[in-house]
Amino acid sequence: MSNEVKEALFSAKNMQSLTNPFSRNNPVIVQILGICSALAVTVQLKPSVVMALSVTVVTGLSNLILSLLRKGIPDRIRIIVQLVVIAALVILVDQVLKAFVYDVSKQLSVYVGLIITNCIVMGRVEAFALSNKPWPSLLDGIGNGLGYGVILVIIGFVRELFGSGTLWGVRIIPESFYEAGYANNGLMLFPPMALILVGIIIWVHRSKNTDLQEKE
Amino acid sequence: MKFKCKVCGYIHEGNAAPEKCPVCSVDASNFEAVDAPAAPAKKGFLGGKNSNAYIVFYSTVMVVIVAALLAFTAMSLKERQDANILGEKKTAIMQSLGIEGNYDDVVSAYVVDANGDVMSQYNGDDALQMLFDLPGAYAAGTLPVFESKADGLYVIPVTGKGLWDDIWGYVALKSDMNTINGVVFAHAGETPGLGAEIATPKFWAMFPDKTIFEGNEYVGINVVKGGAKEGDNHAVDALTGGTKTSIGLQNMIKDSIAKYVPFLQKAMSNNVNE
Repeated sequence: MSNEVKEALFSAKNMQSLTNPFSRNNPVIVQILGICSALAVTVQLKPSVVMALSVTVVTGLSNLILSLLRKGIPDRIRIIVQLVVIAALVILVDQVLKAFVYDVSKQLSVYVGLIITNCIVMGRVEAFALSNKPWPSLLDGIGNGLGYGVILVIIGFVRELFGSGTLWGVRIIPESFYEAGYANNGLMLFPPMALILVGIIIWVHRSKNTDLQEKE
Repeated sequence: MKFKCKVCGYIHEGNAAPEKCPVCSVDASNFEAVDAPAAPAKKGFLGGKNSNAYIVFYSTVMVVIVAALLAFTAMSLKERQDANILGEKKTAIMQSLGIEGNYDDVVSAYVVDANGDVMSQYNGDDALQMLFDLPGAYAAGTLPVFESKADGLYVIPVTGKGLWDDIWGYVALKSDMNTINGVVFAHAGETPGLGAEIATPKFWAMFPDKTIFEGNEYVGINVVKGGAKEGDNHAVDALTGGTKTSIGLQNMIKDSIAKYVPFLQKAMSNNVNE
């Protein structure tokens, strides 16, 4: 490998690993992964943001660690090795959340533990980290975590604003609106509305990116 | 002979390529023969990367490292996590009393024995610590009690079994030691939407102004399937679809508060004398 040209840290190719998942290759709205948790934790903005950050930490670190280990992992047990690393990271995140943001950790309940089963994490490790160097893998993991998180935050924002009239727990829609007959949209508080919102985001996204549309 | 799947790299050993790759399901045409050396050259003391010895060694080291890391994290964060749980318990106690503020300013705690006498060897912090293992505290004959400093209302912590896991809560009594002021319940793993509804303010709202004594006899609170009769002061509605949890809750209140009855009766006669 000594004659290989050293790639710049933020070369165009590396930046693509980081930025592609935001739009062109978004895990939620293009690859349709991680929908379950996207519906479950997005009633309010705060848990959405915490979940987004947790998943980003897990995807980033699991990609980094497994990419560092990739040459030593025996092929026959590589899925098990991946699972152990991911599960350990998720437990770490869960413990940290319980210690530092207890109320949010209660709200997220089982969904933090279920990051282990989030297809995005395993998918990126298997598809990218095991065949790439640590630095691009880290970027790819962070990019995918944030790409997932961006959708969560959008949905959490809309659902909390129209479902409860608050953002981050702070009242946004003034009392006078309610006195004038405005009512919170109760459907926003239920998971089906999150699915509808995901659908709307996919619709808007695809109409902007015509190359993603299937040919008739 | 060995055959290697060109798609996923799976190695098949045999006389011919397999019909279907067991890993990625492509057919035999995707397999190519690889010349296997008669005896693979041993690398290092454990053999190659895919030797059994290497795999066993690798998994063992990995598991030990991960276990040590997780144990270390759990130990170092435990104090903070317990403080959070304790904070939640304090909030729940104040909520059942219907008061707000700094716990230490508004609530005093102590421990009573089975005869209802205050055990002076325990202080308020001990009473709080007992909430972490309430069944154990009951078994040891120590009963923690919380009292609001302002108006002398008592909070009885209760604990029991729901359908799946532990349920627990706090029952605040008015100064007649009979009428419920407010309740807070929590659970570890009841069914969401059914049994888990015991942890909602809507369920708690049925409890205030119910009474746990009929005359001088302790009766507890019944959780009635199909709805409590109008005017029944000792009953609330059970949860639809959460019958087992409701029964567990009824037993929890009955059994837990029963242990406090001597204490409540003493407090009751004290209040009458005053």
